[in-house]
Amino acid sequence: MADLKALEHPTLKVPYELLNKRFRAAQKTIDREVSKTQIAIDDLDRCLQSSTVTVGQMKTALDGVVEKLTFLKRKSEESIQEETDAAYVCKKRIEHLKEYEVSHPTQEAQWKKKRLDRMLVEYFLRCGYYRTSLQLAEHSEIQDLTNIDLFLMSKEIEESLERHETTACLQWCHDNKSKLRKMKSTLEYNLRQQEFIELVRQDQRLEAVGHARKYFTLTEESQLSVVQRVMGLLAFPKDTSLEPYKSLLDENRWHSLVEQFRYENFKLYQLSNTSVFGISLQAGLSALKTPHCYKSDGSGKNTDCPVCSKHLNELAKDLPYAHCAQSRLICNITGQPLNEYNPPMMLPNGHVYGANALVKQAENNEGVIVCPRTREIFKIDDAEKVFVM
Amino acid sequence: MEAIEAVDREINKVLNKFENFKSQRTQTLQDLIQCLEKTRTELSDAPDEDELAPSHSLIMSQTCLNIKDTLNQIAFEHKELHGNVSKVGKAIDRNFVSDFGGIMQDMMSNDKNMDKINQVICEHFLRHGMLDIAEEMIQETGLQIDETIKEPFLELHRILEALKHKDLQPALIWANENRIRLQAKNSCLEFKLHRLKFIDLIKQGHSHQLMALIYARNFAQFAHTHCKEVQSLMGSLLFVHQGLENSPYSYLLDPYLWEDIADIFTRDACALLGLSVESPLSICVKAGCSALPPLLNIKQVMIKRQCSNVWSSKDELPVEIDLGPDLRYHSTFACPILRQQSTDTNPPMRLTCGHVISRDALNKLANGNKYDTYLYFTVCSHGVADSSVPIVQWSRVSQMPNKYTFDQI
Repeated sequence: MADLKALEHPTLKVPYELLNKRFRAAQKTIDREVSKTQIAIDDLDRCLQSSTVTVGQMKTALDGVVEKLTFLKRKSEESIQEETDAAYVCKKRIEHLKEYEVSHPTQEAQWKKKRLDRMLVEYFLRCGYYRTSLQLAEHSEIQDLTNIDLFLMSKEIEESLERHETTACLQWCHDNKSKLRKMKSTLEYNLRQQEFIELVRQDQRLEAVGHARKYFTLTEESQLSVVQRVMGLLAFPKDTSLEPYKSLLDENRWHSLVEQFRYENFKLYQLSNTSVFGISLQAGLSALKTPHCYKSDGSGKNTDCPVCSKHLNELAKDLPYAHCAQSRLICNITGQPLNEYNPPMMLPNGHVYGANALVKQAENNEGVIVCPRTREIFKIDDAEKVFVM
Repeated sequence: MEAIEAVDREINKVLNKFENFKSQRTQTLQDLIQCLEKTRTELSDAPDEDELAPSHSLIMSQTCLNIKDTLNQIAFEHKELHGNVSKVGKAIDRNFVSDFGGIMQDMMSNDKNMDKINQVICEHFLRHGMLDIAEEMIQETGLQIDETIKEPFLELHRILEALKHKDLQPALIWANENRIRLQAKNSCLEFKLHRLKFIDLIKQGHSHQLMALIYARNFAQFAHTHCKEVQSLMGSLLFVHQGLENSPYSYLLDPYLWEDIADIFTRDACALLGLSVESPLSICVKAGCSALPPLLNIKQVMIKRQCSNVWSSKDELPVEIDLGPDLRYHSTFACPILRQQSTDTNPPMRLTCGHVISRDALNKLANGNKYDTYLYFTVCSHGVADSSVPIVQWSRVSQMPNKYTFDQI
């Protein structure tokens, strides 16, 4: 159960952030519509206060109020519905997590397989392999349990940035204005700068100046030098080779915009920069890594051990070994553990095997045993007991 | 579990409140609208130019005030809900760990590593028969996967699928082709396949009796290794007429045999192909999921006690993680004296009394520090069969390199 605590924070936090976002949007809508309706009521009131009021005026005023009220009702219903939907997503995920506690061994294996698939979907989404992740989510029926929608939305914005379009990203900045301001995000500012640079690139310098007037006036003190440099670009032709203006015109600035967007998007939803899959894989490799997997002559390899398999072996090279405070021996012949029921015995050539395996071999072979690793022949009496604590 | 219960409680509260708010307030708004519409219809009878009756006026102003109050209340109530919503977030943050930083260096930032990880994932998909997903992944990531690597997985999967549909033919062909190697591994796969086919024929009753008999000739090669089994299979022929279900041989109809055969086939095939039985990726991630909680705990403890330099040593994890006997693939030896894991440069050494310590410990003892020799004696004090080896005499300890022989494990 402890692994649920360690691994499932993103699973629950992301739908919560969505719920929060929808709540704020709903609050704004309600406030806006309420104030509009109140203006209409004030109109009605004013009508009533005036000395003479006709039925006709009354009717129109009433109509106005009824219309606003109906609109308010509809909008508030829609908003609450969206909020409830977001809350239900949270609930669904919690229900899924609950299944882990009460499951039988076979169901537990199924749940763990789903968990691995969930982790892989998230990993693919972070790397940008969207088609694969969609297919995998469909295959394992885990669409509700993964944050695909979030990533697909960010994919659209990233692609538009790659195409050197800023509209989608600016829209996103606008939608998330308050949170971005709390994070002291410079994304919107950088986007405006990039637009300026693009205008200069297209030799529309007058428009560039207009653009600067509109968006750079709210610059803070610390950003002033940056703005000055960007404005300086006006004086140079677009194929200049002088620094720092050359790097300002560099196409790679769009890449850094994409990365900045990705980073801030993650931060908004409180996703960390490393995927859960990566961390688990590393922790697992470390916990399974023993010196046997890296013996110079390759004699220690076990085909079942994941760390001995080709790619994982290379991956795990720089990771720490598993800490081992207790000896645990396994018989090379049978794979059974060596303990008081199967004591370890050493042959004269120094290799150690389980007593059960050696005795069995000796019974079938008139007291003669063959060491599986070196093929040397010994008598069973030559084997000596070994005490390992 | 407590963590989940806590978050569940908060979410249920939020859902309840939303439901209540929605049903009540929608009703309120509906009432207001209806009230206004009623007034509207009352007025629609009168012509437009007439003056409004003062009584009407009064009622209208009252209603206006009413509506304004209600609207303010609605907005206020909705704002109050925010408290519940944020409680959910707080419950999540309190009960679940959000920060993995500092546990491991980030392996993912390296491109070469990404490539290897993708290879492992692709093999995982191939192994589990998710071929189309593997294909999509290869296309999207631009991986170079050798066809030779794919082949064994595809064949394995094909045969397993056939077995799932109770079709033994592909498996039999495969077992035949690999007979010699299977026999070298003492595998009973081929016999069990034939047995299942035989039982299948018998199940179909009297009409297939002759076919079953002819098929039984296949058992000749197993006469030595599976004598008793063959005998009982032959015995079952007696009951073809009345059906095996009512005979002492009903155990042959157990569906478990089919699950078993799939399992045995997977194991033997993997052993022959030099593959592991389970996907290395699943095993690793399973191990990782068990390993993360203790690692996170120890990180907390270390931060509290401000001894984080112990972690920075990259040689070993700071804490032992018990993954259970299933995930143990290698013998590990830890010296009882120095409590260090043995390596190539520090192998275990066996003293003639039978005890095993690491070479480093041995050197330390031989160099004659009295305290260490005492430690050795407490370790060895359980008594030794060979009386020529005294249990303890500390002077002997310093002579160990000459008197005693050491063997390597």
